[in-house]
Amino acid sequence: MSAQADCEFLVKKARELVSEDPWAAKAWLITARTLYPSDFNIQYEMYTIERNAERTASAGRLLYDMFVNFPDQPVVWREITVITAALRNDCQDKHAQFLRGLFETLPGRVQCEMLLKATEQCFNTVEKAEMLLLLLRRFPESVVQHGVSLGETLLEAEGIEDLDTPVNCFRKLFVCDVLPLIINTPDMRLPPNLLYKYMHKAAEFYIGYVTRGPSADGQLQGSQEGMGLKSPGAARGSQRYVIDGLTEKSSLVSDPWERLLDILAVVGARCEWQGDKGSRSYPEILQRMKKLCRYLPGLEGETLSRCRSQVVICAALVLFRSAYLYVSTVQPSLFQGLSSPGTMPWILLEDLSSVYSEVDLERSTKHAHKKCKLADGREKPMSSDDEDGLGKGRGRHIVVNKADMPGWAETLDSFRTARESWDLLHSHEALESEFNKICSSWKTETWLWLRIFLTDMIIYQGQYRKALSSLHQMASFQAPQQGPMSPQGSLEHQRALIQLASCHYALGEYRMACEKLLDVVSVLVPQTQDPCRTPEDQTRVRGKFRKGNDLRLLSCTGKAIMPFCLQLMLACFKLRAFTDSRDDLALGHVIVLLQHDWPLGEGLFLKAVDKICQQGSFQYENFFNYVTNIDMLEEFAYLRTNEGGRIQLELLPNQGMLIKHHTVTRGITKGVKEDFRLAMERQVSRCGENLMSVLHRFCINEKIILIQSLP
Amino acid sequence: MSDIRHSLLRRDALSAAKEVLYHLDIYFSSQLQSTALPIVDKATIELVEDFIFHVPKDRGVQLKRMSSLQELQLLEIMCSYFQEQSKDAVRQLIFSALFSPQGNKADDSRMAMLGKLVSMAVAVCRVPILECAASWLQRTHALYCVRLAKVLVDDYCSLVPGSLQTLQHIYTASPRFCCQFITAVTALYDFSSEDLIPSPGLLEMVVTWVVDDPRLTLITFLNMPISASLPLGSLGVTPLLGLVRWCVKAPLAKRAKESAPTADTESFYSKLHLGVLQILLMLQVHLTEKNLFGRLELLQFEHVVQLVEELNPLNASREIELSLNRLAQVLQVSLSAGALLCTREDLRSLCSRLPHNNLLQLVMSGPVQQPPHSPFQPGFYPHIHTPPLGYPPRPSPPAHNTHPSHPAPQFLPGMSFPYRPIR
Repeated sequence: MSAQADCEFLVKKARELVSEDPWAAKAWLITARTLYPSDFNIQYEMYTIERNAERTASAGRLLYDMFVNFPDQPVVWREITVITAALRNDCQDKHAQFLRGLFETLPGRVQCEMLLKATEQCFNTVEKAEMLLLLLRRFPESVVQHGVSLGETLLEAEGIEDLDTPVNCFRKLFVCDVLPLIINTPDMRLPPNLLYKYMHKAAEFYIGYVTRGPSADGQLQGSQEGMGLKSPGAARGSQRYVIDGLTEKSSLVSDPWERLLDILAVVGARCEWQGDKGSRSYPEILQRMKKLCRYLPGLEGETLSRCRSQVVICAALVLFRSAYLYVSTVQPSLFQGLSSPGTMPWILLEDLSSVYSEVDLERSTKHAHKKCKLADGREKPMSSDDEDGLGKGRGRHIVVNKADMPGWAETLDSFRTARESWDLLHSHEALESEFNKICSSWKTETWLWLRIFLTDMIIYQGQYRKALSSLHQMASFQAPQQGPMSPQGSLEHQRALIQLASCHYALGEYRMACEKLLDVVSVLVPQTQDPCRTPEDQTRVRGKFRKGNDLRLLSCTGKAIMPFCLQLMLACFKLRAFTDSRDDLALGHVIVLLQHDWPLGEGLFLKAVDKICQQGSFQYENFFNYVTNIDMLEEFAYLRTNEGGRIQLELLPNQGMLIKHHTVTRGITKGVKEDFRLAMERQVSRCGENLMSVLHRFCINEKIILIQSLP
Repeated sequence: MSDIRHSLLRRDALSAAKEVLYHLDIYFSSQLQSTALPIVDKATIELVEDFIFHVPKDRGVQLKRMSSLQELQLLEIMCSYFQEQSKDAVRQLIFSALFSPQGNKADDSRMAMLGKLVSMAVAVCRVPILECAASWLQRTHALYCVRLAKVLVDDYCSLVPGSLQTLQHIYTASPRFCCQFITAVTALYDFSSEDLIPSPGLLEMVVTWVVDDPRLTLITFLNMPISASLPLGSLGVTPLLGLVRWCVKAPLAKRAKESAPTADTESFYSKLHLGVLQILLMLQVHLTEKNLFGRLELLQFEHVVQLVEELNPLNASREIELSLNRLAQVLQVSLSAGALLCTREDLRSLCSRLPHNNLLQLVMSGPVQQPPHSPFQPGFYPHIHTPPLGYPPRPSPPAHNTHPSHPAPQFLPGMSFPYRPIR
């Protein structure tokens, strides 16, 4: 008998017994092993029995024996591969847990050797990295040897793959898994420029991760890429977000801003940053940077450049975080799914709630209802041109409806913090150029969300001309995104248009303002009921007479936008209607528009009536098409009477022509009177009509006339 | 001494016995002050025999006998005494003075009292008594040990079957006693007759002990000084031989028994057999570590010879096949572990009269020599958990060359012995 035949006989015996009498099977194998200790199959059989029975300790012991005695057996390697795979993945099934437990029973030195050898056999970069990470996590002392090279391998792989987003598997592994190990290993010597490089990589990743788009179909994403627009993060599933090449568990990054702050703290400590006493919040960091900036001009050489880098990276992170927080409230759909409940988009516009008052008509008037001489038409618009602005918008007030926006204080805070960070980064030429370097390497000009913040910031600063170009740029971003959307969704994509109108208005370009606005109205669906104003708005209108340089965060919904459009049109026509020269058309438009929010505009209406009385006549052929307000109708009926001053009213289509041709014929005039009376009676019956539908129709049907009637 | 005797005679039996215990306590305590190893003298032995065991002597004195109630009270007093005496040496001396067999007619009473005391100590979990009993089992002749084991088995396995759980607990109370008990009980039940086959309950208890903690069976051995020699006729230092006998002879005994053995019983023996092999593997590590390999014969060859002679070679059925497989496995593993010191030639002559068995044949002839170019060196890794730092080269195999008489390849599974010495 040969040794091999002996071994085969012994293993065969054990196999026959294993199901019926496992103890006897093991006894056979123990005996066999003492006879032929160098036979692999005997030991593998022993291992197999223990593994199949999932006995962790004994299987681990036998695996160890095999690993030490038969390091070149392919079967052993297959086994080790299965185990290390179980270590890497997040599978929770019983067998995977057993395999992980099995690995835990091995002595550290063997685990280390096993992982290293398993790593050598990996050809896939991600797998290899995950394997090495297992090693580095378990054996911190190996970080010094393998940490940086693993990091560089990952960054290199990212470069070779030429990925279009920093939120990719290589960067994730580097930033979230490898980098903390590297920088938290005290024995690790890391030069500052390497630390800065890593810091930037981490920041780019975390920002990209946080601002990644919501779940989107491939078509949408594809079109974005087609535009050369780097979407903020690769959008693949909002709820269960998976980074290509990683498992779902591995793709999860918790508290990204906090993690980033952690890295910032360690890098700061390692680079010996000024006054870095571990303050743990972004707003605190900004305050510290502001202080540090004051010393900047006095510094030189290496201290200066170190300080500069510190200020730029810190302020930039505060900027991006605050801007993100602001935009996530203002346009939540950018980051969440379109159908996320309870959130609505907001839009920063001129505050027009005082449009019904006469203050802007009568400079320095105390009482709105007090009749005064009309102001001349050279009334200055609310804001002037770009250069002087409103003192760069410092201290402008932003009106919000606190009931509709629960986190309004935080949102406004974020907006302010972001602006302050931006200002800080542009307070010195050196800072600005370093910041611009970061921006261009991250291609921030392709970040739609950042563009939204920047535009709002420029609007806030009163630089409307600049805002216009920013908005045009943004509209071109958004254009390809438009598809078959819900009305609200499509309205959200009109936000650039609405803001354009608001900016044109602020610049006094009323015709442009109305043109944009009427485009917006054309996609609006009139609300079935007249939106009632909230008491808070009322108090604001009545209570404070601000000089009209306020801004307002308005919810970007049809319900809120339609009234805004009407107010803005009113504001455009108001000034023209009440000039000394006669413009019946403008006055007529104003009267139509004043119906909205009646009786807020009663004062202005009476002013209009006064003007008509002064003129002695009034011609507005659309009157009966769009005026259904009973108070107004009564007032006009009254104007025609003797008591009312016998005002000549030409409110029916073609009526003026009739009068011109038949002035001598009393009968015809009588007929005209009869027509007017009938029209009035018919109009009174229309009082119950939905005013919003009437006004919406007015905007749609009279679009051309409306635009043409503005200079 | 005669003063004491005189005063004791005037007392009733129970108070005299108490007085003797009290006297012994004072006497040995003071003896231990002056000498490390006091001798239990003849006078003391007589005092104990007269006033505790009440053995009538030809001295013309009529000794008062104790009633059963008084005997029970005395047992309680002894129990409390051993519980309360904090000095181990005093306890051991008194236990020895009371219960070491003297080869006289007092021994029957002595053994009867000892049986009752230990049985009581098991019931109420008196650890000091169990510890003293463990030592007693170590130094007393096997014949007496077996008698004590029989008392416990009768009390806990036969008399009140439900009380087996109580006996099971001696494993936690006194592992040393448990180990000695296994040795005694496997010596008692040697399958030599139908009555000497362990009951299923006893079997299950022993298997549970051995399988749950194979190291338990080596406690006595591990706590013994290496140089110590066993008193003549005493139990083995481990229960190995007894356990091997159970495993090897059980398949053959089944036939003889009227009631068919249950599948449970079969699997218990199978588990026990695996346990025995694992004990041998542990032993190998220990012997190697202590450089005792080839010097201590834990499984004596002459005992194995005796065991083989007991096997009935006429039975060539499946049962003898199982029996011989187990025998072959034990022989091979104990030979390889250094527990059995003999040559393959010895094995061949030993087993020559047994029926043919493939495995036995393989074991007798030994492994076929590996090709000389085989690069394999069996690894030696007794401690699996060395500190994870560093990558030291694999330790070279231990030098077995000091024992050239045992060329069997050594496989040394790493099992450490965490408790040593035990107490």
